[in-house]
Amino acid sequence: MDFSWLSDPFYQGYLWEGFVNTLWLLLVSSVGGLILAVGVALARLRGPQPLVWLAWAFTTMIRGTPLLVQLFFFYYGVGRLLEGVPGMRDSVLWPLLSDPFFFGALTFILSVGAYSGEVIRGAMQSVPRGELEAGRAFGLSGFQVLYRLWLPRAIQLCLPTLTGEMILLLKSVPLVSTIALMDLLQAANIIRDETFLVYEPLLLIAGIYLATTIVLTLLLRLVELNFPGMRPTRRRWLPIR
Amino acid sequence: MTSSLELSPSPQAATAPAVVADHLIKHFGDLEVLKGVSLEVPEGTVTSIIGASGSGKSTLLRCMNLLERPDQGELAIADEAIRFTRNSQGDIIGLDRRQLQRLRAKVTMVFQQFNLWPHLTVLGNVIEAPMRVKGLSRKRATALGEHYLERVGMADRRDAYPAFLSGGQQQRVAIARALAMEPRLLLFDEPTSALDPERVNEVLGVIRGLADEGRTMLLVTHEMHFAREVSDQLVYLDQGRIAASGTPDDVFDDPRCRQFMAPAA
Ligand SMILES: Nc1ncnc2c1ncn2[C@@H]1O[C@H](COP(=O)(O)OP(=O)(O)O)[C@@H](O)[C@H]1O
Ligand SMILES: [Mg+2]
Repeated sequence: MDFSWLSDPFYQGYLWEGFVNTLWLLLVSSVGGLILAVGVALARLRGPQPLVWLAWAFTTMIRGTPLLVQLFFFYYGVGRLLEGVPGMRDSVLWPLLSDPFFFGALTFILSVGAYSGEVIRGAMQSVPRGELEAGRAFGLSGFQVLYRLWLPRAIQLCLPTLTGEMILLLKSVPLVSTIALMDLLQAANIIRDETFLVYEPLLLIAGIYLATTIVLTLLLRLVELNFPGMRPTRRRWLPIR
Repeated sequence: MTSSLELSPSPQAATAPAVVADHLIKHFGDLEVLKGVSLEVPEGTVTSIIGASGSGKSTLLRCMNLLERPDQGELAIADEAIRFTRNSQGDIIGLDRRQLQRLRAKVTMVFQQFNLWPHLTVLGNVIEAPMRVKGLSRKRATALGEHYLERVGMADRRDAYPAFLSGGQQQRVAIARALAMEPRLLLFDEPTSALDPERVNEVLGVIRGLADEGRTMLLVTHEMHFAREVSDQLVYLDQGRIAASGTPDDVFDDPRCRQFMAPAA
């Protein structure tokens, strides 16, 4: 085992950039994806018929095709197509459209939107009707019932599933190394190409992933435990007994 | 109606019944659940609705805050005639949204299954509607909420979540939630039917106290002794029709509902 390259500030820089990009991508995709997911769930439950159909088609397409194929589709397909549009290179959008981070985030947001959208839809359907009826009976508007009662309750019900999806998402991030985005795997690839060491860089990033997963799991567990009104029986610190 | 009139009702308004329902008809699909029900609830009195399961008691009660919209009939609640939109046959097809919000702030409900909001604390449940529907500040709503939690004996659990309370405690919180809106009319739909037998009395005790205060209440219940004791008026509903109504003694003596009452007598 040769870890002498770790002292090279260039490699440290790559690894740090890869780590920051990974977390940043995770954050942007989770936040953006959950907002989209709520929209998808609402569209399917309460939307006018065309929107119900659209949300269903979106969910089916995203869940029915591999994430890597979607990533290539957006980056090499849509991205290169846009590149060819006259004037695009001079437009204000160009910095965004030429950035692989944009396509990585877009792909992940759509993915989270589709998967979590279904989870949230199921949770919204399982909120007891009486609770929402009580909201209406006390004069809350439809929108107030939605954002004060229905959504918080649904998220309370499916929180463990949502946090589980976020952990899975973290481990999908290395896919973006295929579109030249500097993530941890990309950093390891560069180090391997330059030092001819195969195992050591991979071992290091595996360790970083493992540590990040453990920290993230504990953080999300903390969120779950502190979610308002969580039932007493679910108040267990570690998922292991 | 102007707000000054609401704050200081004229003598005439004060004596007007809290509810005047005239010939309410309600269908669910082909099933006619209310077959022309007329009912008056005088201000400051308690009316209990009794009857077999499926006779339409809940539906009638839920018409009073328009959780159910009647198909025909007239309804005046808390000095306001409800402005229904009707088609050319006179069938009710719509409601005035503004009036609906206003009505629901004045008529609140206690449900059989409590229907507390589990992600809000006890106090959070009680101040939600006063803040968001009546527009009270958090401070004022909290003062009001604490007062009514005190009233039902739940002030010491204000920061607990509903899942940590017994059924009887949850229902008392639900009563505080209904009181905190300072409504003109309180509706109860079988408030003790989902409770363990040993928890029934603590809830009935609270309701009895409210009756003694002279609150206007409309109550669906299977607790016959209790209904007889607290009610000024008793309504016996049979298959969507009022089969007997009047003072509790009159109704209990009425041969038409003798058979129904028999188990309780
Ligand atoms: N939302 C609904 N849709 C269809 N049928 C209903 C609905 N609510 C009540 N019903 C029917 O109307 C009848 C009266 O119901 P309800 O008013 O709940 O009776 P009660 O409260 O006296 O037991 C029952 O036959 C019931 O099945
Ligand atoms: Mg009922």
